[in-house]
Amino acid sequence: MTHPVHQPPQPRVTSRRRLRLDTGTPDAGGSRLGRAVRLGTLALMAVLTFFPFYAMVLISFKPAGAVDFPGILAPWNLELSAYQRVLGGSDLIRWFINSVIYSLVSVVLVLLLATLAGYAFAKKRFPGRSGLFWSFLAMVMVPYHVTLIPTFAMLSQLHGVSTWWGLILPTIANAQAVFLMRQFILGIPDDLFEAARIDGASELRTFFTLVVPLCRPILATLGVFVFLWHWNDFLWPLIMARKTDMWTLTVGVSSLQEQAAPFNVVFAGATLSLAPVFIAYLFAQRHFVEGVASTGIKG
Amino acid sequence: MSAHPALSEAPPRGEPSAVPRPDGPSPVRPRRLLSHRRREAYAGLLFVLPMALLFIIFRFGPSLAGLLLGFFDYYPGDTPEFVGVENFKRLAEDPNFWTALKVTLIFGFLSVPTGLAISTVMALLVRRGSRTVNFFRSVYFLPVITSLVVAAAVFGWFFSTGGPVSSVQSALGLGDASWLRSETLVILALVVVNVWTRYGYGMLILLARLQDQPRELEDAMRTDGASSMQRFRHLTLPHLRPALFFLAVIETTASFQIFDLVYLMTGGGPARASHTLVLDLYERGFRNLEFGMASAIGGVLFVLTLVVAGIQHFMLGRDRT
Amino acid sequence: MKMPRNLALTGVLATSLVLTGCGGSGAENDEAAGADGATGEVTMWVYPILTDEAANKKFWADTVQKFKTSNPGIDVTVEVYPWAKRDEALAAAIASNTAPDVVYLVPDQVPVYARSLETIDSMASEDALNDTQDNAKAAATVDGKLVGMPLLTSVTTLVCDKRAFKKAGVSTYPTTWDEYLALGPTFKAQGIDLSLITADASGTLNVSYYPLLWQAGGDVLNDDKTAAAFNEAPGVEALDYFKKMYDGGFINKDYVIKAAPTEQTGVAKGTVACTWGVPTQDLVKLWGAENMEVLPPLNKAESVGYGTVGSLSMLKSTENKEAAMKWIEFATTPENSKPLLTAASFYSPRESAGSLYPAGSVDAALEKLVPEMTVGAVNDKSRAVMGVLTPEIQAAVIGKKTSQQALDDAAKAADALMK
Repeated sequence: MTHPVHQPPQPRVTSRRRLRLDTGTPDAGGSRLGRAVRLGTLALMAVLTFFPFYAMVLISFKPAGAVDFPGILAPWNLELSAYQRVLGGSDLIRWFINSVIYSLVSVVLVLLLATLAGYAFAKKRFPGRSGLFWSFLAMVMVPYHVTLIPTFAMLSQLHGVSTWWGLILPTIANAQAVFLMRQFILGIPDDLFEAARIDGASELRTFFTLVVPLCRPILATLGVFVFLWHWNDFLWPLIMARKTDMWTLTVGVSSLQEQAAPFNVVFAGATLSLAPVFIAYLFAQRHFVEGVASTGIKG
Repeated sequence: MSAHPALSEAPPRGEPSAVPRPDGPSPVRPRRLLSHRRREAYAGLLFVLPMALLFIIFRFGPSLAGLLLGFFDYYPGDTPEFVGVENFKRLAEDPNFWTALKVTLIFGFLSVPTGLAISTVMALLVRRGSRTVNFFRSVYFLPVITSLVVAAAVFGWFFSTGGPVSSVQSALGLGDASWLRSETLVILALVVVNVWTRYGYGMLILLARLQDQPRELEDAMRTDGASSMQRFRHLTLPHLRPALFFLAVIETTASFQIFDLVYLMTGGGPARASHTLVLDLYERGFRNLEFGMASAIGGVLFVLTLVVAGIQHFMLGRDRT
Repeated sequence: MKMPRNLALTGVLATSLVLTGCGGSGAENDEAAGADGATGEVTMWVYPILTDEAANKKFWADTVQKFKTSNPGIDVTVEVYPWAKRDEALAAAIASNTAPDVVYLVPDQVPVYARSLETIDSMASEDALNDTQDNAKAAATVDGKLVGMPLLTSVTTLVCDKRAFKKAGVSTYPTTWDEYLALGPTFKAQGIDLSLITADASGTLNVSYYPLLWQAGGDVLNDDKTAAAFNEAPGVEALDYFKKMYDGGFINKDYVIKAAPTEQTGVAKGTVACTWGVPTQDLVKLWGAENMEVLPPLNKAESVGYGTVGSLSMLKSTENKEAAMKWIEFATTPENSKPLLTAASFYSPRESAGSLYPAGSVDAALEKLVPEMTVGAVNDKSRAVMGVLTPEIQAAVIGKKTSQQALDDAAKAADALMK
């Protein structure tokens, strides 16, 4: 193995140095041809990626009627009628606020609890650790349609139907998030924790001043996805929120649509409801990339 | 208690420091070590506790209930009737179940490696941020937020007779039949769309992981004259391994549970050529209200996924020492 | 994977909670029925039958208001739920004893939920029952029990695009299978599809293969509804007919596997001659009423089409059954349902309703065909039967199996389901 050998770990000063990250300088190596191939690949993927999204946005601005690919993708003959239909809902603001509550509260809770659990699974030895971890992980593998009715039946036993806790708490038990955080925290060198321990930092202090800052890139990524999953969630809010004033945007908007709603209306709904996620992504992107490099490790 | 000794043996360590420590923790006196161990165990349990409580209440119970229903005849609202392995016997005798199992496995084994490879390549390509790359990165996020209904509609046209793919086909003299009407190509079409909708997720996760790869190591290797392939194999790949293990498990689970996309694009057709297990589960459960049978399928799928995850753990997830 | 014992225990506990049928905590209406039985709360789930949200809400609010004046003791709540995933929402609600008291169902759903639905033969008033057309009642009847009160009906008949006929130079409209199929090549030469027909596994056969089957003189199930009958001669004939349209290139072949939304099909572009599966309201929007030629359903052995029937069903878990029944009868009375029907181009299943539409209109022409419509033979496994039949139809049409073999295979699977 040609693993490069390192200096034995020293307390924080070196650690901070060792963890300095890519700061965004373009790859110094690589021939001009290599760079052209790379840019070409990026551009091709971008076109393939962009196309359906473009179709979604553009068709949402088209009048109802024939959807004739590829003719429909010409960027003229645009109008707002689909948006008028979608935005005609009387409770739209209520539903929007509900979606924000559902998504934001969930993001905060999932990130906090998943990081705590992921840290414990990755770095703490405690009895039953691997059994518990695999039990968690196994929960991703039970198909959603199988657990849906038992979960709902149980919540209705607990009088959780049409309550905020009943809507939110079950979605916090997110095995994927715990798993992801564990995998990332596994990669943080033990020496950092050792150093913190020798410094006499408490467990919680270590968690908040060491683990959380080091996880910023993945927390930003995960946060966007947890937001997206909740923001897009349809089935769970549909069956849990039995009063229309607790409906989320997804449920509310679809309650305005006829059984076979025209494309422009469906796409306008999709575009509108996904815009906040994209904005959230643009904000979070900074954190994906700069990560620890810009902040250093505050210890 | 666990069938996975690798997870319980030796404290996990991060790769960059996967070098034996020269002295180990010897300066610490034995008594303090013990109390440290105990303190660590308490802290671990305490940190896991909130999530564990939520899991016990909202996941373990319902999941177990859902899976146990596979041994019952259950119509919603009625009291379930215990039927032993009857449902599984009926499945075993049903050729449609075996078709669905085969379709699911083929789909998964095509989709997961393709998706992982594309995610990895894309993550490597966009890891160094320039203004252009930043722009591309935002674009690659778009499939993640493009609704599946839209993706199904656009790709439905993409593969349809007379659409772009079929035009190329007929120009090559291969006929203009839609992929979605071909029993062999339909899976391929679904793999393409599935990878399209999911590669951005993998890319961003790997990207986050690449952010904490120490730059110095790579520079050192480069100075030593290591080729970019060598650098990837010996430095980047091991560094990505925990994240790749995560993605392999999650993507396998997701593709074994593929539903919405298939439902929207093919409905399982032609002639069951894309009829996946969860489509079967959904039909029996929510269209026919035979929840016992649906749960039995869920149980089979659960065991299948767990076995594959175990294999992946063996290949990717263990901490090499 | 072994689970720690205490976790398994929790699971079993939770399971038994779920499995024993959830005790009595589910019902929200604790109010005891009054002396005359007609008090209490009634909750109903409907779907956006009217596209205009405001109009839909107003219709139900007005109806509830009117009901309240004659039944002051009954509080009716109407919740307009999304169409999407309505089976999941309803199944979950039934499983946890939190189902609504009344729900709007279509013929595909009625047999599936029949076990949870109240039989209303003896509860509904004689007048209302006698006034309702037999074919509409049949759509809400499972195993001889009426489990829903028909609210509205529709008609799927042959509707042709006058412009397409003009373009292809065809001046007589088809009435029989043979006449229709013979037009295939003429339309094809003009780039026009003869029809729009699908065997989409996530859709329904009610507007594609089943009408052909009925027209050929067959039915899905045998007379006592215990076994499949679609593999008899008429079924094979119907499937062969479907296949001839496919092989001749008279229909868009892709749609056999997966139906596209109507706006994406030739119907929206004016390249489909006739259809019997597209809701007429959509055709009015896409073609214009002036271009629609409404014809009787095609004839082979008989002229028959599928008529969807939206009915209001009462759940068995309903506490205030009399109140719920009063509301159902009130809402399905023609004078009360008329604004809903006319706004959405539906027809009344009641004989006393007379004609709701001005003579000469498309709707008036369709309305006259209501008695020709059927939902065919149904039992509680009908939807499952459709589920095993559809892929076999695809197999036959794309040429993987012969029609007879495909239908025999499907019949075998269907009979196993009905055992």
